[in-house]
Amino acid sequence: MSAESDMEYSDNDGDDYDYYGGQDDCDMETIDRSKSDPEYFLYSCLKVEEVEKLLNESIELLSNSLQVTPSLAKVMLHTYEWNAQDIINKYKENAIEVLVYSRVKPRVPTLQGSSSRTACAVCANIPPIHNYSALACGHYFCNDCWAMHFEVQIMQGVSNTIQCMAQECEVRAPEDFVLSHVPKPTLRERYQQFMFKDHVKSHPQLRFCPGPNCQWIFRAWVREGPRRVECHGCELLTCFSCGAPHHAPTDCATIRRWLTKCADDSETANYISAHTKDCPKCQICIEKNGGCNHMQCGACRHDFCWVCLGDWKAHGSEYYECSRYKEDPNLANDSQHAQAREALKKYLHYYERWENHARSLKLEEQTLANLKSRINQKVMAGEGTWIDWQYLWDSAKLLKRCRYTLQYTYPFAYYMEVGPRKELFEYQQAQLEAEIENLSWKVERAETTDRGDLENQMDIAEKRRTTLLKDFLDINVASSSSKV
Amino acid sequence: MANIAAKRIKREFKEVMKSEEVAGGAIKLELVDNSWTELQGTIAGPPDTPYEGGTFLLEIKVPETYPFNPPKIRFITKIWHPNVSSVTGAICLDILKDQWAAALTLRTVLLSIQALLSAAEPNDPQDAVVAKQYRDNLFLFNLTARHWTNVYAGGPSNITDFNDMVQRLLDMGVEEHQARVALSTYDWELERATEQLFS
Repeated sequence: MSAESDMEYSDNDGDDYDYYGGQDDCDMETIDRSKSDPEYFLYSCLKVEEVEKLLNESIELLSNSLQVTPSLAKVMLHTYEWNAQDIINKYKENAIEVLVYSRVKPRVPTLQGSSSRTACAVCANIPPIHNYSALACGHYFCNDCWAMHFEVQIMQGVSNTIQCMAQECEVRAPEDFVLSHVPKPTLRERYQQFMFKDHVKSHPQLRFCPGPNCQWIFRAWVREGPRRVECHGCELLTCFSCGAPHHAPTDCATIRRWLTKCADDSETANYISAHTKDCPKCQICIEKNGGCNHMQCGACRHDFCWVCLGDWKAHGSEYYECSRYKEDPNLANDSQHAQAREALKKYLHYYERWENHARSLKLEEQTLANLKSRINQKVMAGEGTWIDWQYLWDSAKLLKRCRYTLQYTYPFAYYMEVGPRKELFEYQQAQLEAEIENLSWKVERAETTDRGDLENQMDIAEKRRTTLLKDFLDINVASSSSKV
Repeated sequence: MANIAAKRIKREFKEVMKSEEVAGGAIKLELVDNSWTELQGTIAGPPDTPYEGGTFLLEIKVPETYPFNPPKIRFITKIWHPNVSSVTGAICLDILKDQWAAALTLRTVLLSIQALLSAAEPNDPQDAVVAKQYRDNLFLFNLTARHWTNVYAGGPSNITDFNDMVQRLLDMGVEEHQARVALSTYDWELERATEQLFS
């Protein structure tokens, strides 16, 4: 709440650029990242107090320039997505329109005069005249009813959008009006907490870190496209635009479809893949509904073994031999069954790879932890210094980043239309995958002497990753913004 | 809180009793017990609608936080209407949800529900099946609604074709209401309704 607050939005930009540019830990090219890293995105990670300060600056700016109370400024900023300059300009043109649009004032002036009050329309009591109050709309109610109204609304999580109690009146109660009727400290605190959350949610540049119990707030400096943000608190990697885990090269709409699909279909898919097989003779899809492994196809009457899909005639005393896990891919693959099964197979193809990389990522978290102790051991044993081993640490982080991107290439590929572009994508994807596996292999077995080799491999993998993103992230920006 | 709620309800009860709508027989309000937390409303089916001549009972539950929260109202009488669930009687009406205002009263709410019977909102349906029929086959919708009004709300128009079809299903051992729902849902095609009931 400092008095000198004529600081404008744009004043911050330059400082923050340097600050966050210099902050990056593991990048090989720190000079002008916007060109080398297609995912580069200017953002800051703020604490609650910093955001409060930021919001207060806008509120003060507006309340000083329009000569309105901070409470009214909040109502307007909430409506106009915190664009103070926009409000000031529009206010100069047509002040009434701004006030009506923000629901500070009613569109049609209320006829009811302040003197013509009888019983409170809500509780039917007739309290003394000074116990009545009204918003700008002039709908007078007794203070007890206002207090009760606010209590009920606050308990339901409503804050900025609490309205007048009159029928079809959309005028909103500003903060000072609400607080003057709410004496309970716990309720006041709750109200202010909700207000703050609501303000952050209505601010296009701000978003809460979706991490559980995480208090950090991101501030984005650009408005378009997939936006990768990493939380300084919980280190969660998310997308600023949609709040889902970061998902380049896939766009927000697609990843939402994919995640819902996975949530919906996986069970069915798992069931089908676990409980059905195709008849080895006529390829019809068969569900196993009993314990016996001696199957007879309902369509062609072929007798076969569920476990090895071989002819049952060959199963004499060696029956238990085939309870070892082996699936003949040739027999299971050549399905001529309905398209549904084809579609499922396609989905499973991408889903399995998606899942597999997700699992690998988790395992590589462990590798990272092991690596730390391994480096410590080596340093203790006098085999090089911490600085000598630092590169290995970097490479493990890079590996993580590459695999992360690789994981999110699968939903992208799943929804891609067949054609030369998809072929190119899948070619690049395969290249990336191969280099990642090479890197993974080398990281796990690295020695100080291999440093050059490993760094070379890191460079190759990262180049593959950025090439893929550069080639395919751009159309995403276009398509995702056109869908919004 | 309950104090305000009871006081308000008592006053509203008086207001409804004195109103011209009660005198005209359009709406009615009765107490279920002495607690003032549950009431029973009655609305007459508005003229020039398939509900004309019917009497519809409503269950009204008054929450502790009334009038700062809306009353919970549902149809007790079964009704065929896009914005009312044909199964539960739940009503889709904005003033019973987010557009509720503390200054609204039971009288205004009852009149709004009556108005909803005259002007359905098929684009904001409570019952998707009914809403689809309303949009795709208004003629059949009107007949079905009239039939339901006749059977459940004491309406005057007896549609013999529909009664016969229901009877056919009754003869097959289907429960009456279940039979009516199936027939209404499948646009009174006996075969499809039967198929659905026995599948």
